[in-house]
Amino acid sequence: MSGRLSPGIIVILALLAGFVFAAAGADLLAHNDPLRQSLLMRLRPPGTSTATTSYLLGTDDLGRDLLARILYGARASLMVAILSVSVSLLVGAMLGLLAGWFRGWTAILVMRFVDTMLSIPAILLAVLTVAVLGPGFLTLVLVLGLTRWPRYTRVAYAQTLQVVTLPYIRAAEMAGCGPVRILLRHILPNIAGPLMVVATSEFGLMILFEAGLSFLGLGVQPPYPSWGSIMAAGRQYVQRAWWLTVFPGAALFVLVLCVNLFGDWLRDRVDPQSRSR
Amino acid sequence: MIRQLAGRVGQAIVATFGVLTIVFFIMRLSGDPTLLLVPEGATAQQIAELRHALGFDRPLLVQYVAYLADLARLDLGESLVQRAGVAGIVAERIPYTVALATGALLVALGIGIPAGVAMAVWRGSVLERALAGFVLTGQSLPTFWSGILLILLFGVALGWLPTSGADSLQSLVMPSIALGALTMSTFARMTRIAVLDELSRDYVTAARARGLSLRAAVLRHVLRNAAIPVVTIAALEVGNLLAGAVIVETVFAWPGIGQLAIQSIAARDFLVVQAIVLFVSTVYIGMNLLADIAYAVIDPRIRLEQ
Amino acid sequence: MRHLVLAFLAAAATPTLALPKDALTVDLPGDVATMDPQLQWDTESYSVYRNIFDNLVTRDASGKIVPQVATAWRYTDDTTIVFDLRTDIVFQDGTPLTPDDVVFSVRRITDPALKSPQLSQFDQIASAEVIGPAQVALHTKTPYPVLLAQLVKLSIVPKAYVEKVGDQKFNQEPIGSGPYRLRTWQRGVQSVLDSVDSYWHSKPPFRTVTFRAVPDGPTRIADLRTGRADITRGLSPDDAESVKSDKSLQLLPVATERVAYLFVNTLATPTKDKRVRQAIAMAIDRDAIISALQQGYAKPVNIVLTPANFGYVADVPGWPYDPARARALIKEAGADGATLNFITSPAYDRRLNEAVQQMLGDVGLKVEISVTDQPTYLRRRQGTPEEAGSLSQGRWSCACQDADGVIFPLFRSGSIWSKMNNPTFDAEVDAARTILDPGKRLEHYRRAFEILREEVPGIGLFQDYAIYLARKELKWTPTANEAFFVMDMRWQP
Repeated sequence: MSGRLSPGIIVILALLAGFVFAAAGADLLAHNDPLRQSLLMRLRPPGTSTATTSYLLGTDDLGRDLLARILYGARASLMVAILSVSVSLLVGAMLGLLAGWFRGWTAILVMRFVDTMLSIPAILLAVLTVAVLGPGFLTLVLVLGLTRWPRYTRVAYAQTLQVVTLPYIRAAEMAGCGPVRILLRHILPNIAGPLMVVATSEFGLMILFEAGLSFLGLGVQPPYPSWGSIMAAGRQYVQRAWWLTVFPGAALFVLVLCVNLFGDWLRDRVDPQSRSR
Repeated sequence: MIRQLAGRVGQAIVATFGVLTIVFFIMRLSGDPTLLLVPEGATAQQIAELRHALGFDRPLLVQYVAYLADLARLDLGESLVQRAGVAGIVAERIPYTVALATGALLVALGIGIPAGVAMAVWRGSVLERALAGFVLTGQSLPTFWSGILLILLFGVALGWLPTSGADSLQSLVMPSIALGALTMSTFARMTRIAVLDELSRDYVTAARARGLSLRAAVLRHVLRNAAIPVVTIAALEVGNLLAGAVIVETVFAWPGIGQLAIQSIAARDFLVVQAIVLFVSTVYIGMNLLADIAYAVIDPRIRLEQ
Repeated sequence: MRHLVLAFLAAAATPTLALPKDALTVDLPGDVATMDPQLQWDTESYSVYRNIFDNLVTRDASGKIVPQVATAWRYTDDTTIVFDLRTDIVFQDGTPLTPDDVVFSVRRITDPALKSPQLSQFDQIASAEVIGPAQVALHTKTPYPVLLAQLVKLSIVPKAYVEKVGDQKFNQEPIGSGPYRLRTWQRGVQSVLDSVDSYWHSKPPFRTVTFRAVPDGPTRIADLRTGRADITRGLSPDDAESVKSDKSLQLLPVATERVAYLFVNTLATPTKDKRVRQAIAMAIDRDAIISALQQGYAKPVNIVLTPANFGYVADVPGWPYDPARARALIKEAGADGATLNFITSPAYDRRLNEAVQQMLGDVGLKVEISVTDQPTYLRRRQGTPEEAGSLSQGRWSCACQDADGVIFPLFRSGSIWSKMNNPTFDAEVDAARTILDPGKRLEHYRRAFEILREEVPGIGLFQDYAIYLARKELKWTPTANEAFFVMDMRWQP
């Protein structure tokens, strides 16, 4: 495939860049303090302005500027998702590769550990772990990262099992390639597509998961916003102050959609089989 | 084959045991329910007395051994909060959970698989993009929000479906959609990828060169082979459908074991949580065993590991 | 436009409903934990099983303690109280309620072997005995003025039945002498109660009452709007605002005996300094909290107690809202920029926590909120002074409407909640719980509250409201102790 990009993917990349930019530049973009409350100005609709400032997207139930909170919230949501996906992808893919390559007892050990972890519903494990470790950003990343790796392992394992039976791997082995080289150069690219698909859909799930924990009251600590915590707080006002859930919900939706579409596109590019055609 | 199977079952039992051990110790590290059981004005001495009466002042290892001993006698114990047999408490919720998981799986597979096939076959078309956006919608919205929107739309505004509860088949519809929508796109995407992979393989090209239509190729060969990753994901999802439906069950007041689990964690009702985990992990590990066997049947290239 | 939509929604929801004459459906946030009235005492369990049983005494709509199973009572000495009992009450299995059942009920709940969570409410009772065909006597360990207020919560259980079937079956299939009997209990789903038409007091108002477990607040409101439920409890002030426009529903708010307060640690952390605590009291804008966050569903209090409780003294002043003086006092104490840990759980109003955080930030204190789940929060709050953080929010009710149930557990040294050590205060509240004369007790409480004002181990924020949402046709007056007696409700088209 050549370096040409379709217009669709350019839009997606631009949107993703926009999210990263918004998160990184929240300090510059927001003209109000996301933590500054004004109890007299609570639940004001979008477009409200006062003598001193204006609220483009309205205010929340403590009179804070929703636009500023969404911008700063992007930072928390993106960081949680990126870090936890990285942790689980790294741990999960490595274990899956090893299990698929060595098979035998390694595979039995790894895959039974996977079964063990996967059979405990992630949300229950997360709630329990937060109870033990105490809440906080780092806990959140660890809890999400270390409860979700088994999904990558299962996919990596199943894919590796398929790939190692392919003739060219045997050919590479016979040509004297070492196991590390075969794993990284020949097998990893082959299984990267499905792993990417898992990672991208997990990325969205992690953002939703953080939101779910916020709903249960155990997400990012107040008063700092994340999209999940803004929405969890705003759902009580679905009818009275729709903007509290609609704007962060729309941001979340567009981001997850873009990441998933990007994942599909990326997969088509990294998959050597579809590239050869 | 039978020996292999016996080995796998043995491993499954070990995995279940691992689950129980992990959950036992994490739960105990998170404190005990004594403080939740005493009235607000209780004194330190009264609390100590209740803690002793409940047995939570014993060393952790002693409690663990006592728990395993009870379990070995197939005794799941009595709930500290509800003062009733744990087995009964959990068993009462299982039909609701199975109903919801089935409904959700029907929604997810019923929409996800055809959408995935269509996305692969009509790759690059407007249809693919529209379908991709559609199946992703369910996965891109927090359930605690989309759930209440569903209730307000179909329950309050249109009056088509009951707003909460579990007393009729109608009340199963909204929770199934909400839960199924979460995994629908996973199935669609895995199906799409698997079908694309198969479509690009030599045997499909060969078959098509022999004059087989695309439709026939998909139906005859591709779907069968593409089923492997889809089966993997389906097996993976079962655990989450069983007890991961915490938020859906909370929003729709569906009395499944997810809701029971989260309430029991909040109440530190240890034995109930452990019984739930035992149930979920047994089902889950059993499903995965079946999935592993299914691989071997569907794809002769893969054999059960010893 | 929005009003039009709302009007349409209301119109769409109403006509399908016929007025249910004989049934009442209640949405509760959770399921009943136990049907045995001598075990769990959370609001959900209370709301259901108290309709199945009679209590020794009860409270009328004004909060006065009035007869129920007992018709009259008198102290024969400072530690002995004699009750005359009704003789016309029968349990739902047809057996009459006798003095033996009353004595059995007292002994059962005070027996440590039952492991009842309610034990500490009744453990001042030393013994109970039958002294006549319709008379029982209770002996307390010391003179105990709160006894009657606690006995409001003592349900009478049938001795013969409990002994015959055992505790576990009794919990599953309870039999009481109340206006309703349990028909079915689907755990986690609902409990259905049938009326007992021969109830000694009067005929119960509904043939059946269904209590459903619906954990999510917005869903409960949706149930009310579609007629799936007739009444629910636990609305927030903001919820109340959003349903005001629905003409088929009514809000039933009531000022309760529950006091919202801010706990301040006097034994550890920067709040160890009295000046910091006093500054915090002056930094909280309670009027803003009441008008903006509570939308008026709260009444100001000057102390950590509500006027619905015995022992409330209106003339001990609270600290005025004065951020300038607060800031100065914090500077004086050298606590400018100090970090205060605010421990809490999802059970407490998030908005109030964050509002307090900002108000204290404005006077130079950095507040860090730490949200854990309820058991972890309780472990910290009830742990050592070092674990308890600097601040936390509380909503306290003893369901006994007496200061003894509030400031004794909250601030008496040695109590698990107390993070204060003040011997003078201890002496006052100790005295107030062992004398029977109300006038003298009130004097002790006045002095106790004056100490609390100076020491600030807690700040009374407001008297909390319970907000119920019901069908327009349901007639009911909720009470300060948040009791949920179906007998007091009626359909009134």
